[in-house]
Amino acid sequence: MNKRLLPVSCPSCEQTLKVRRFECSNCDTAVEGNFDLPTLARLTPEEQSFVLNLVKCGGSLKDLAKIYGVSYPTVRNRLDALIERLDGLQSQASDEEGS
Amino acid sequence: MDNSETSKGKLIVTWLFNPFHYIAGGKALVIGLVVILLTGLIGSFSNTHFDGVLDIHTGLPAPTWVFLMEGLVDWLSLGIPLCVVALIFTKSKVRLLDVFGTQALARFPMIVNALLSLLPGFQRQIAQLPRMGPQFSPSDIVPMDMAVFAFVLLCSLTMLVWMVALMYRAYAVSCNIRGGKRVVLFIAALLVGEVISKVVLIVALNHLGLL
Repeated sequence: MNKRLLPVSCPSCEQTLKVRRFECSNCDTAVEGNFDLPTLARLTPEEQSFVLNLVKCGGSLKDLAKIYGVSYPTVRNRLDALIERLDGLQSQASDEEGS
Repeated sequence: MDNSETSKGKLIVTWLFNPFHYIAGGKALVIGLVVILLTGLIGSFSNTHFDGVLDIHTGLPAPTWVFLMEGLVDWLSLGIPLCVVALIFTKSKVRLLDVFGTQALARFPMIVNALLSLLPGFQRQIAQLPRMGPQFSPSDIVPMDMAVFAFVLLCSLTMLVWMVALMYRAYAVSCNIRGGKRVVLFIAALLVGEVISKVVLIVALNHLGLL
């Protein structure tokens, strides 16, 4: 079965999608509301994979560079870009909360 | 062109113009220093001096260690200003080893210039240059030597442009400065580095009685 990607932005207006309903596949219980996607879920699959690998490496950029087969500063630069992205997503989330 | 060919092509382009994506730090430093010293050694066989961050001049005999020293001075003269730029302007945690290592590796096109300077036709033409005054006769020009000379000059210029491109990529990867100021700061560091290298080498060679 092909892995399906979690959509995070609206294909029509590109705004961030919200979660309206959770369902239990075991007992058919459903929970409805207006839930925000967690910040990490809003990252691209590549970014999420980077975060996962970073955690699995115990935060070692040196080990992460070996996994990706790139140089240490390349991985460091990716991490810095990711930090900026996360800051942007978090401030976007607080703006949405405020409004 | 299918996907595997496109990937191979991208890989080759990356290795040629941004090898620092894959190699930096201590590895780049060791390879870079070996190349710098080899370049100086090969240059000593044809009296080719790399007497500035962006300079190449042929003709002045000197002890071998002078040729080796020139390459190291050139490397440090640019590396130090780039480190200063990185420490002041970057938000990233820069490793000085990456700055110096990638800059050392960025100088590898100069080894091509050192090898080209060994060509006999080029050497003969260089020897002719001081004699090219008002009394010089055009019949003294050997067409083949002139062709080789022109070819070497063209290749040298190409290698120089390639080296500057590599220096910029090395700086971009190791210092991670964003925005328009990245280019401006690199140009400023390059100019400062060129001045430092010329001053250091002129003072050193003067002190040694070689100038």
